[in-house]
Amino acid sequence: MSGGGMAMTASRGAWGRGVAVLGVLMVLALAALLPFALQDVFQQRIAALVLLAAISASAWNLIGGYAGQVSIGHAVFFGVGAYSSLLGYTLFEWPPIAGAPIGILISLVFATLIGLPTFRLRGHYFSMATIAAAELVRILVVNWPLVGGAVGLMGPAVPRSALDLSFTSPRPYYWIFLGVLAVLLLLTYQMSRSRMGFYLRAIKGQERAARGLGVPVQRYKYYALLLSAGFTSLAGSLYAMMVGFVDPDSGFGILISVRMVIIAALGGAGTLFGPLAGAIILVPLEEWTNAAFGGGGTGITYVVYGFVIMLISRFAPGGLAEIWRRLRAAGRRHA
Amino acid sequence: MILAQLVLNGLLVGAVYALFSSGLTLIWGMMNVVNFAHGDFVMLAMYVAFFAATLLGWGPAAFVPLAAMALFLLGVLVYLMLVRHVMRGPMLAQILSTFGLALVLRYAALWAFSANFVSLPEDLTGEVVTRGGLRLEPSRVLAGIAALLVTLGLHLLLTRTALGSRLLAVAEDRTAAMLVGIRPDPMQALAWGIGAACTGIAGGLIALFFYVAPSVGESLVLIAFVVVCLGGFGSVPGALVAGLAIGVIEALSAFWVGAAFKDVVVYALFLGALWFRPQGLLGKA
Amino acid sequence: MLEAQGIVKAFGGFRAVDGADFHLAEGEIVGLIGPNGAGKSTFFNCIAGELQPTAGRILFQGRDITTAPPEEHARLGLARTWQVPAVFEEMTVRENVMVGAFLRHGHRQEAMRRADEMLAFTGLSPLAAARAGSLGTPARKRLEIARALATEPQLLLLDEALAGLTPAEVQAAIELVRRIHARGITLVIVEHVMEVILTLAQRAVVFHQGRVIAEGAPRDVVEEPAVIEAYLGHSLKRRSAGA
Repeated sequence: MSGGGMAMTASRGAWGRGVAVLGVLMVLALAALLPFALQDVFQQRIAALVLLAAISASAWNLIGGYAGQVSIGHAVFFGVGAYSSLLGYTLFEWPPIAGAPIGILISLVFATLIGLPTFRLRGHYFSMATIAAAELVRILVVNWPLVGGAVGLMGPAVPRSALDLSFTSPRPYYWIFLGVLAVLLLLTYQMSRSRMGFYLRAIKGQERAARGLGVPVQRYKYYALLLSAGFTSLAGSLYAMMVGFVDPDSGFGILISVRMVIIAALGGAGTLFGPLAGAIILVPLEEWTNAAFGGGGTGITYVVYGFVIMLISRFAPGGLAEIWRRLRAAGRRHA
Repeated sequence: MILAQLVLNGLLVGAVYALFSSGLTLIWGMMNVVNFAHGDFVMLAMYVAFFAATLLGWGPAAFVPLAAMALFLLGVLVYLMLVRHVMRGPMLAQILSTFGLALVLRYAALWAFSANFVSLPEDLTGEVVTRGGLRLEPSRVLAGIAALLVTLGLHLLLTRTALGSRLLAVAEDRTAAMLVGIRPDPMQALAWGIGAACTGIAGGLIALFFYVAPSVGESLVLIAFVVVCLGGFGSVPGALVAGLAIGVIEALSAFWVGAAFKDVVVYALFLGALWFRPQGLLGKA
Repeated sequence: MLEAQGIVKAFGGFRAVDGADFHLAEGEIVGLIGPNGAGKSTFFNCIAGELQPTAGRILFQGRDITTAPPEEHARLGLARTWQVPAVFEEMTVRENVMVGAFLRHGHRQEAMRRADEMLAFTGLSPLAAARAGSLGTPARKRLEIARALATEPQLLLLDEALAGLTPAEVQAAIELVRRIHARGITLVIVEHVMEVILTLAQRAVVFHQGRVIAEGAPRDVVEEPAVIEAYLGHSLKRRSAGA
């Protein structure tokens, strides 16, 4: 290719990037305006919950999707975040947000305890360790009165200052969550284009071959887990602030872990927007079925979730993103 | 004599743990698939036992084999319809497949049977006997001894029979096994059947002395993981030793730190084992 | 450059490699040959860091790498390809090579530049944007080589990189290996295709039953009675005895 040709491609690349950035900013602006389009408080709340679920699932996606290390006990980080926030309030009268950094720190410690030994073993051990860790912490919390025991913890009933982030309307939460999600997705995007992103995909694809190319496999899996754990913990803290309550099951329960996994896997684990897509589909659906059939107590929701997870694993492990890709490829073939 | 009583009870329960964990280690060792639904298999077997005992009036001699057969079929079915297709694929698919199955089984049971704990009729196995200061509950003794025998039987099946060597050949090297004329697919289906049958027998036996509820599977699968990890991946003798050990540890923990925390001890042991001795007590890494 | 002393690799009671010595000078092209089950692949994997020898020492440029993991081998300049190509199926050809390039260049742009260089060198540029999973075997083998080259090795280990290729593809591959050698890279090649060894290798090392039974110029080595017997088994002896 001639020098002039190269320059043209480069500038076309810059153009393309410019258009993409503009597009993203527009979508972001539209998303920010959404709460004004939704009149119903109920709908606004669902929108906020969709974003919150997207944050958790996108955080899970870092280790489960990009790195291919399947955590099914991610609630351990979520619960730590939620509990840290509300403990800060119940023990020291801090605004819940102050507990969030502490939650992140504790989550990073947990991530180290879980990941370091298991990343040098075959993949299943990590998955098993995550369930064991989540259950272990849940049982400890249930039996520990200081952190609320089986009853759980509550946040400030009446906001003492703006710092408490305790709003009556879901709208401010929606915007906070939108901001956090945007940051997380931007970080994920940058990561995926960097050496870390390439290395993680190599590890996920052919770990042995990656090693032979000099990839420090264990180290990168660990980095991915640290990032994932930190953001999951933050999601837990945000949840605690919006809902104002957490107990062992809503913090550390297996269903919390399941929701993260299914939302990410349904949309497409390992893709940037897969978890968001999954959240947009599943969260309203779950709210609707809860309203229609009266609570998840009967367990039908989770039978369905289980089936969906099995179907995804059997027919389209890449989720909707994979199905979309296959349809496009089929379309191109027939064109 | 409390210590001796705890150890005895621990060994008896531990034998049952060893039994269903052997099923898990067989499957895992053979085709590198971890059955996250393993605990829920046991749970289903317990319900089979419950219904056979309460609706049909059967005793353990009848419902344990029934549970074994039912679970054997389930295991083969799960392999043929699900596992076979995800085995060679990405890790995400493998883990999600049996994890999704676990959810389906657990919550279907919750929906069908409600969360209430139920238990089998009291007098199936006779009176409690006291020998040498030790309280021998016939249900636990029967369960423990039966579990021990079946686990040993499984080990003998794998190491002393032609069928067993075919199974182990596929586990060792699928391609080589194919080259000597062993078809891996039926062997793997059989392994799933046998592994599930172990849960069937174990479930039928546990139901004799433990409550039956849909939530039982969640903690049992973790116990199986601990046992398999400590015993060494793929090793039935390892699972036996580790199972007995975990049973005793659990019994002692229940006594010393209370029933609420006994699970915590076991899970902490698991995580500790991953740190310090991932290759297990007896097996290969 | 590479020195292996007294390498033993045992699997349980079976000794796949039973006391093998190997030396390699910089700039050589050495072929490892031997009948199936002779232990050459096992030995190869010991050098590559995939397997740890039960006994013996391996030195690379003076450093002891006997227990070093494969990652470190690559960092030190020892790269390898895989007998069954292990390309990253979901990534493009260019991205595959970039994974190799990232070892030496942390930034995406630089890694991409280096990767494109390697793609051009191995003739894969037209396929740069193709998904690696869509490639046929010859292209995959070539991709393996490009990827390994991107780690800027001093020593490249090729594991049956020319097996299963048509005669025309074999010629093209031989030409590529020559060009790699011309860049100053030392090569160790495990091969069954004799033509390749005879054409490319300056020295051949013959394995049999875990040991080195012959060494020297390929033309000479293939005529040694011990080597012929190793390949044909004892049938020659039996036939002459029964006559």
